[in-house]
Amino acid sequence: MKIYIPNETTSNSVGANHFNTIISNLEGIENIELVRNGSWGAFWLEPFIEVERDGNRIGTCYKDIDLSHLRTIEDFLGDFDSREPFDISEIDFIKKQKRIVFSRIGLGDPLDINLYRENGGFESLKKALSLESQTVIDKVKESGLTGRGGAAFPTGIKMQTVHDQNSPIKYLACNADEGDGGTFSDRLIMESDPFALIEGMAIAAYAVGASKGYLYLRSEYPLAKRFLTSAIDIANKNNLLGSSILSSNFDFEIDLRIGAGSYVCGEETAMMESIEGRRGLVRSKPPLPAINGLFNKPTLINNVVTLATIPPLLNGSLSDFSGMGSGKSIGTMPFQLCGNILQSGLVETGFDISIGEMIEIFGKETKSGKPIHAVQIGGPLGLYLSSEMMSTKLTVESLQSIKGSVGHGGIVIFDDSVEMSEQAKFAMEFCSKESCGKCTPCRIGSIRGVEIIERLQKDKSSQEDIGLLHDLCQTMEATSLCAMGGMTPNPIYSIINNFPGELTKE
Amino acid sequence: MKNGYNQMSNLNEIIKPYIQIEGGLMPALHAIQEDKGYISKDAISELAKCFNYSKAEVLDVLTYYDDFTLEPHGMNTVRICRAEACQSLKSKELTDDLVSHFDIQLDETTSDSKITLKEVFCLGNCALGPSVMINETVIGEANKDKVIQFLKEIE
Repeated sequence: MKIYIPNETTSNSVGANHFNTIISNLEGIENIELVRNGSWGAFWLEPFIEVERDGNRIGTCYKDIDLSHLRTIEDFLGDFDSREPFDISEIDFIKKQKRIVFSRIGLGDPLDINLYRENGGFESLKKALSLESQTVIDKVKESGLTGRGGAAFPTGIKMQTVHDQNSPIKYLACNADEGDGGTFSDRLIMESDPFALIEGMAIAAYAVGASKGYLYLRSEYPLAKRFLTSAIDIANKNNLLGSSILSSNFDFEIDLRIGAGSYVCGEETAMMESIEGRRGLVRSKPPLPAINGLFNKPTLINNVVTLATIPPLLNGSLSDFSGMGSGKSIGTMPFQLCGNILQSGLVETGFDISIGEMIEIFGKETKSGKPIHAVQIGGPLGLYLSSEMMSTKLTVESLQSIKGSVGHGGIVIFDDSVEMSEQAKFAMEFCSKESCGKCTPCRIGSIRGVEIIERLQKDKSSQEDIGLLHDLCQTMEATSLCAMGGMTPNPIYSIINNFPGELTKE
Repeated sequence: MKNGYNQMSNLNEIIKPYIQIEGGLMPALHAIQEDKGYISKDAISELAKCFNYSKAEVLDVLTYYDDFTLEPHGMNTVRICRAEACQSLKSKELTDDLVSHFDIQLDETTSDSKITLKEVFCLGNCALGPSVMINETVIGEANKDKVIQFLKEIE
């Protein structure tokens, strides 16, 4: 018999560790295999504890339940069975997803390398090493994969550029500085399937000819740091990293670097500055990092989910993946449904789904039970859409056409108690706190922006301030080097346009 | 886990493993912050000497990042998430509750040096907000009572 208790940030944040302590001290535990698995990503059910008997695995949600009175494993099983446990893979929230990249999360111990292998792990790396690097890149191009970090740039083309540089030293940098509010897909991969990222990094490095990879992880993710540190160590010991990987002539090592609480360091050039040991100031482009990046060498920079998507593409899922969607919206996207929503969690699905469908099928309703008033898509620089815009598709193209972005796939739901003028003010405040300071419109404009919005909160019809706000937003958009200053106006425009009368009355 | 800082360990010993690696200043700063709880003037001098920077250059880098501090924090650091998903679940009210309970503002430390309150923008726990991180432990669906209870348990 096995008992599964997740070990993952969100599960632990509502008591998984606490239940692990209780259950591992019960009488009779020595006859049970206790597994700390990853989370299934159905976070609204956490802490989700499962029991496997005779190959039949069922579980139930233990949120806010007191088990301190239990003495024996039999007590626990009696309690467990009384809670109508079910097979999580059979619920709509999981069944209606198309899990290709997140196919292994929740299964078992994320650091169990044999379990990873039994589920197709490292087959893709083995296959890649038997192919020419160009063939690997061709497959990524053919898949239609675009960067999942936010910019949706075609991954294969970026790889080709790095591949084609004539340099004896090249780097891979994995951007794990997942800073957008309302996102956690990178964290979930790193905590619940870390070998998938390591395998993806190794394949990408082989394809472009990099022998060293930096993994830049934000410091706000201490549990991911622990999992990655162990996973890298295990991979090294199993000849999946290091020299002559899998007895080939390919060498690759991963160096884990920790950020220090700066949002802008998720911007690729600021990230490179930080890895090199400097302030996280944005660099101007060109040169592109693919040509002149880390330590002035050609560098492939991808985010976590993008890299973790590469192994399935080489292991039988290519046609499944590329068969979905079109244009820049091919394959699956891990959307992160969160904020004030009943069924929150990770939803991996094709892009061709509207916000309304996303909520109807997966999220259901607000957690507060009140009507939805606004949905922010794509992180702090993304648009706020009103409840009348629920038919908006979540494709890259659809959101681009209304000057928005899918970004990193965050979807944050707000009920009707939200003050949209406060959200507009927050956009400017966030920019003023997180600006790296290089571009004046971002550094100072954002402070002026907070002041203008505070004045508008007292007098929505002030023509002078409305004009100033438009002027300021246009200046920030046109004259900032990176998306921090350049896209901060997006949420503000969307509030002015989609929520008439809530910030300004023209 | 309480911040049990080591006042005796030698700065040079802490910095040494990072001198030869590329971009070693950041991991060296992290190591000192973790060991000592802050980056002292002595640490800045030692870093400057080891990495062949001026003291101003070291100060320039460390003051850019929120994680590095020039003064020690309280024994426990309570970080309240203020990003959008937590806002939608009333993180502002939670912040007000904690500010009034501890009777300090954000970025301040209680007079008994036990608690430092800080804001943070996203802990990746957006599905079960509002979220608070106490030292390295994240509390989901947080409220004032849960935070106080947790602090009591680790005391």
